[in-house]
Amino acid sequence: MGPFTASVPKVMIPVGNRPLLEYVVQALVDNGVRDLVFIVGYRRERIQSHFQDGKAFGAHITYVTQTKQLGTAHAIWEARAHLEDPFVVLNGSNMVDGRFVEDLLGAAARPAVLITESERPQSYGVVTAQGKDLVAITEKPTEVISNLINTGAYALDSRIFDEIERLAKEGKHDLPSAVSAFAKRTSVAAVRTEGTWVDALFPWDLLRLNAAALKGLHEIRSGTIETAVTIRGRVSIGDGCVIRSGAYLQGPLSIGSGSEIGPNAVLLPSTSLGRNVRIGALTTVSNSILMDDGILGPSSVVQDSVIGSGVVARAGLLAASGPGDVNIEGTWHAVPQIGALIGEDVEIANGVVVAPGTVVNERARVESGAKLRGTIPSGAVVL
Amino acid sequence: MCGIVGYAGRRDALPILLDGLKRLEYRGYDSAGVAIIGSGLQVVKDKGFIANLEAQLPPMKGSTGLAHTRWATHGAPSKINAHPHVDCTGKIALAHNGIIENYASLREKLEARGHTFTSQTDTESLVHLIESYYEGDLEVAIRKALHDIRGSYAILAVHADEPGKVIGARNESPLVIGIGPDENFLASDVPALLRYTDRVVYVMDKEMVVITPKGVTLKDLEGNAMSREPQRITWSLEDAEKGGFEHFMLKEIHEAPQAIHQTLLGRLANLDLDGFSSEGITSVKLVACGTSYHAALVGKYVFEEIARIPASAELASEYRYSRAPSERPLVILISQSGETADTLGAAREARRRGCKALGITNVLGSSLTREVDKTLYTRAGIEIGVAATKTFIAQLVALYLVALKMGQDRGTLGYDELDRLKDQLRSLPRAAQYVLNKAQEIEALAAKYGTARDMFYIGRHANYPVAMEGALKIKEISYIHAEAYAAGELKHGPLALLTSSTPVVAVAVQDPTYEKMRSNIGEVSARGSPVLAIGTEGDKELPKFVDDVIEIPSIPWIFSPVPVSVALQLFAYAAARLRDCPIDKPRNLAKSVTVE
Repeated sequence: MGPFTASVPKVMIPVGNRPLLEYVVQALVDNGVRDLVFIVGYRRERIQSHFQDGKAFGAHITYVTQTKQLGTAHAIWEARAHLEDPFVVLNGSNMVDGRFVEDLLGAAARPAVLITESERPQSYGVVTAQGKDLVAITEKPTEVISNLINTGAYALDSRIFDEIERLAKEGKHDLPSAVSAFAKRTSVAAVRTEGTWVDALFPWDLLRLNAAALKGLHEIRSGTIETAVTIRGRVSIGDGCVIRSGAYLQGPLSIGSGSEIGPNAVLLPSTSLGRNVRIGALTTVSNSILMDDGILGPSSVVQDSVIGSGVVARAGLLAASGPGDVNIEGTWHAVPQIGALIGEDVEIANGVVVAPGTVVNERARVESGAKLRGTIPSGAVVL
Repeated sequence: MCGIVGYAGRRDALPILLDGLKRLEYRGYDSAGVAIIGSGLQVVKDKGFIANLEAQLPPMKGSTGLAHTRWATHGAPSKINAHPHVDCTGKIALAHNGIIENYASLREKLEARGHTFTSQTDTESLVHLIESYYEGDLEVAIRKALHDIRGSYAILAVHADEPGKVIGARNESPLVIGIGPDENFLASDVPALLRYTDRVVYVMDKEMVVITPKGVTLKDLEGNAMSREPQRITWSLEDAEKGGFEHFMLKEIHEAPQAIHQTLLGRLANLDLDGFSSEGITSVKLVACGTSYHAALVGKYVFEEIARIPASAELASEYRYSRAPSERPLVILISQSGETADTLGAAREARRRGCKALGITNVLGSSLTREVDKTLYTRAGIEIGVAATKTFIAQLVALYLVALKMGQDRGTLGYDELDRLKDQLRSLPRAAQYVLNKAQEIEALAAKYGTARDMFYIGRHANYPVAMEGALKIKEISYIHAEAYAAGELKHGPLALLTSSTPVVAVAVQDPTYEKMRSNIGEVSARGSPVLAIGTEGDKELPKFVDDVIEIPSIPWIFSPVPVSVALQLFAYAAARLRDCPIDKPRNLAKSVTVE
């Protein structure tokens, strides 16, 4: 997620025009869990400015700053003064639904870990269980154990702190290790959830999450819609938007507040535009995320793309979709349908063509007429 | 948004209700009211702050009551529209937070049946509806009435013949029960209760609650009893509101991008500025006090640069007592609170002189809005820290919008140029965020420079007033003596004061005065003063001339006051924090100055 997390933590990346963490909060509040402790660190101000004291989300939020990012066990250790038994622990960057939290709360009579099936178990902690009891969590196993993985959601009580303290002395600061050790002393339930749990591992996962989130879109029609605008399907238009004449909006679409959609622009499913975005005349955007404060000039084509906050692209950006090989931290991934992945505050001059699967890292500057492929480093100037 | 509080117990209800209202003041404060049942029902309400209501209260005895604070978002706040509302018999009082969608048809029916309405509110329909169902049991009457209404509500009601009882109900607006010994509470939010109890029960949608001194009964809208265990609140009042930030000031500095968004919202695309028209205007005078005056001074440069219109800025306290020249400029009055006495006086004076007056304020329905022809709200949200931060940024943004509008109307901006400027304005939240991301770096610089006894701030052109504002911030919250100068003025006196122990903060961004600024910095360094510069990212020359640089992003210079201000705010905050100053409430200062 590097290109999109230069100024925000991962939990604040928007899908369906809401930060990932908001889905977790909503699922908790829907189940009556309102007293929340957020353990924050990197760019915590962004989380705090958005959620404030939680009132607007029906919750009360206490913030604990994790001073050193040692690990998840260390994180809840730092919050221990605020945790009453029993408590649940969730990862803020996984998208979950109410059912998921219901399963977690249902299991909370004794310590529990929520597990689910995964197609990529090798990327997670794989769970071995005996009947309904957890035996161990094996992190990123090299050999196949099972396809049941740890969702990182736990129901715990303060006894876990003894395990955490003990393991910390051995230099282990991760919660799965603590829970595995805990399972040796007391019974820990491994509960398979029927709810939704999705982890966004790669930027293109965001597009899938975005499409899913837009299915539950709450339709709002605000702002100014000029004449001869066609709106089909479920389309949400935020406060203070201006939709210029001739625009064609095919839902599901979410357009954030204060955005301006130019004359004859075409917005196709499943697209989320953040707040204060401007789309130029005759520009087409489909199945993409454009985060806050972005500007997309006239006569551009953007498909299957993720575009970070504050990206400014002048006229004629061509980021069309196709099969692409994307390099993420040195590993190549073949993605069948992908456009561009453009990081925060990238500036793109006129007539730039971006090959499918190109990653442009934050604050890069691209001059007119450039053709981009591969990975453009952050702050780079492309002539 | 509104706030409501109810009390049933053994103590005097009035002080508890008023204290609760003050805790809910963040939910709105343009009118307030209270209803108490003692010997009969007594209701007092008025527009204005809760303190205003408090000042005119008659003695009100009774240990059952409810209260309401309102923040009108549509329509003027007035005494008549203030809550609580009372039925025809004068026995039922109702406070409501939310919107009753079908109030008009209800009102029609109720008026046909002879009910007399006194206000324009949706709420009044509900109180008459309850009256029409009342047969000796308020709870039953409310339940019936709620089945007839559509919309969102959290309500509280009392009846003169049923003392010791407050009834609440909620649908889509918040309501929480506070449980105490021999007394119980209802409120929109926990802070209103925390002084009295830490045991609360959250009321859910489509639920009703009856509180008496002895107990609490929770029911659904069909009247079926329900039970829910109380929760214990483990947080304190102060922490609650600061949302994880150490001080309100820091929280509010970090809200700059949001304040910019709100000020631009719905205005940028069509330059639709709440009905403001620049027709017939040939010059502009900006009038304000304190921080707002610094915004006014920046405004002068902005109007000249963008709209090519003659502009000047004046202190409200001076403008009022000056002689009227023959020209009739548009007078723009800027006040965060809209209650600044000198600015209000200046507004009256401007209109007496026959000038058109435009108010820029953050507070809806404030006094300034009644003294001017048009108001442009900054919509930055409530600011609690005494040192203005996000509201200053929002004032600058409002001035950019007005300048763009004038440039468009006067034809001094071509279509392409206007479009370009609009896009640049749209990017301002990111420019502010860029600086906010450097908070840690700025904190380290504050540690280095913030131990000085005296400091100088210098800038030129539009960033001269920004330097003045930076100096004001550091004076008011960190108590460091600071002076701001137009950089060109240094050699006319102040240079005599510079030594190696007087750091100089120099705004040296890429603008038309950059070269001159660099030679001014040279004059300073020659006296041995350490120099902290605010420069533009990618400027490779500047670091060679100064000790440290805080970078702002590369944006057109006319917009640079926004990120530069954010940097200077963070710097002042960090310096004050290291000096252990009472940041949110500096000595001798008040948030809005309502005396002349």
